[in-house]
Amino acid sequence: MKRLLFVLLALAMVLPVFAAAEKDQAAEGPITLRVLNYADATTPAYAVEKEIWDTFRAQNPDIVLEYEELFDEAFHTKTEAYAAAGRLPDVMFMWPSGRSSTLYNRNLVKDLTPLMAPVKNEFVPIATSPGQFGILGQIPQSTTNTHVLYANLGLLKKLGLSEPKTYADLVAMVPAARAAGVEVVLIPAKSDWVMQSCLFSMVLGRIAGDEFINDVLAGKANFTDKPFVDSLAFIKRLYDDGVISRTALQIDYGEGPALFASEKSLFYIDGAWRVGEFITSPDSGVALIPPAKQQSDFKLMNFPVIPGEKNANSSSVIAGTGFGMNANIEAGSAKEAAAWRLISYLNSAEVLKKRLETGAFSNVTRIGVTASKMEPLQVMNAQLAPAKATYVVDGILDASVYGPINIGLQEMALGTATPEQVAQTTQKAFEEWEISN
Amino acid sequence: MTQIQPMLKPKLSIGAIIARVLLVAILIGFTVMTIYPIIWLIINSFKTSKEFQMNRLGLPIAPTFINYPQAWKIGNFSMLFVNSIFYTGVATLAIVILSLSTSFAFAKIQSKATKPLYNSFVIGILLALESIMVPLFIMSIVTGVYDTRIGILIPYIGLGLPIGVYLGTEFIKSIPDALIESARLEGASYLRIFFSIILPMCIPVAMTLAILTVTSLWNEFMLVNILASRESLKSLPVGILKFSGSLASDYGKQFAALVIGMLPMLIFYLSFRKQIQRGLAAGAVKG
Repeated sequence: MKRLLFVLLALAMVLPVFAAAEKDQAAEGPITLRVLNYADATTPAYAVEKEIWDTFRAQNPDIVLEYEELFDEAFHTKTEAYAAAGRLPDVMFMWPSGRSSTLYNRNLVKDLTPLMAPVKNEFVPIATSPGQFGILGQIPQSTTNTHVLYANLGLLKKLGLSEPKTYADLVAMVPAARAAGVEVVLIPAKSDWVMQSCLFSMVLGRIAGDEFINDVLAGKANFTDKPFVDSLAFIKRLYDDGVISRTALQIDYGEGPALFASEKSLFYIDGAWRVGEFITSPDSGVALIPPAKQQSDFKLMNFPVIPGEKNANSSSVIAGTGFGMNANIEAGSAKEAAAWRLISYLNSAEVLKKRLETGAFSNVTRIGVTASKMEPLQVMNAQLAPAKATYVVDGILDASVYGPINIGLQEMALGTATPEQVAQTTQKAFEEWEISN
Repeated sequence: MTQIQPMLKPKLSIGAIIARVLLVAILIGFTVMTIYPIIWLIINSFKTSKEFQMNRLGLPIAPTFINYPQAWKIGNFSMLFVNSIFYTGVATLAIVILSLSTSFAFAKIQSKATKPLYNSFVIGILLALESIMVPLFIMSIVTGVYDTRIGILIPYIGLGLPIGVYLGTEFIKSIPDALIESARLEGASYLRIFFSIILPMCIPVAMTLAILTVTSLWNEFMLVNILASRESLKSLPVGILKFSGSLASDYGKQFAALVIGMLPMLIFYLSFRKQIQRGLAAGAVKG
């Protein structure tokens, strides 16, 4: 026992030395890049994700990837720890705002504008323009409709209903849907961001428009003004009219696609990125909605006409996620070249085509990239073009301002706050944010 | 001739019978609450996500085993299993030995420093892991042990010591001083006394500590997620978290991954349940 104790203690003292030596050795070899990727292992696109990274490794033997892959809160916790310790990976998955705000606010990521300049014309403007934080911190791989109305036309037909053109048409469906034991519109709103990002942003764009948000940011309008209150009131009306059930607040985000595929509702609201959940999984060869049924029974559409809207058929669109680079990497260094080679590869036609085919994206920011192996829902998604793209609330406002909106949307559903109260809380949060900035 | 009277059970009053029935009902209720989620999880791991949404409580209509090999492959569980066994085994052994040796010193070798040192250990029980996460991460980078096995083991051992020292000290205090004094008179060193007298007598508390440590380390996620980047260093809970979370959508794979992670603990309990029950009872802190 004594010997064992001594061995353990000796090991504890010696192993860190080996660990350090191991790292020094790695530093002398090919260029090593530390990478943090965000990947959902449960999505059908996961197998292709692996393939994308393996291809880079095979094509670039002079670059060693210290690859780390996390998902959901594990990713965000780790990113925050990296940021707090000032030890960000060399290349990392990022959002254009929202969950990556810390990285932008603390200047931890490099402005990629100079590196992007030579290839600027190969991408749509949104991919090469500085974002909310004034820098091009990541190259968005796609633009995303954060609102899509997934319609089950087969179920509508079965109930003797037809495609809605106006909000009144949706309200008229409530009795028939209730009699059949299904919801009219299902939205997995347990997480507060879903209602804001996937529905309210579109409603605000239709009723108030981007000009209103611009005016608020410029101090020319307030969140307590009529357009904002009316937008909130419309969300309340959806619940009051029974178009959305209050039980939506109990539905986990992950549950939504399977519930819709199981014909629990006539319509489903989510972002365009969710199409990937319905198509055939490369792993199992099984689809939540088989391609033939996608073609015959389903349709992707924009929300019908909303009372009082001024931007007909508009929808909320945001620059998508992408990869950014650690600000500490020296400009002009071999490491920067290697990191840029990786980011360029991740934005190459080869990779973006694969992402289109898996349904991870409905479109890509690189001009001229199309995919042939697409299932009907993917094709519908790619063709779904709103008449006008409007802001996504969490893409344009600070977290301290959109936070109260997210909470308020849930409070209205529960009947614990009125649209006016939510508007006042938002205005207060905005004024506090203005003072602190 | 004396007649032997058969032993008669005392007749229970109606109140006692009702109390007993209620007690049994409550115990059955608790048992169901504990066992049912496990059974539910196992049953649903044999369903596709779609079937799960249609039929959440019933048995699978068309049982599928595909979730298991897929979860195993995608999660790279072979490697994660080995890592989990390594971290749990080494850290548990180290925590038990280091806790008991420290406890021996605190309980039987008194000095002025004993109380403050003991308190400095025990206060660790109150520390929330979240509150020390970032400092630990920074320390791990500064000392060069970030993303190494030893960098994961040291915090595991360090964080396991407070409860170990607390349990060990209270237990060793109950061992008569006379035993140690006699050994000292015979010329035995403290190290000899620890290994020859104290450690064998501490088997019950060592079992308790080992059980507590094994279960908490096997399920530990936060530290290994923060202190390791390389996939080859991560443990089972990190693999499982690839499948579960509020954004995950393939419930079949998620449940299969959870069963894979839970199974070793279930086997551990079923194999050692007698020792675990004995250990938990015997290792209870003596006042």
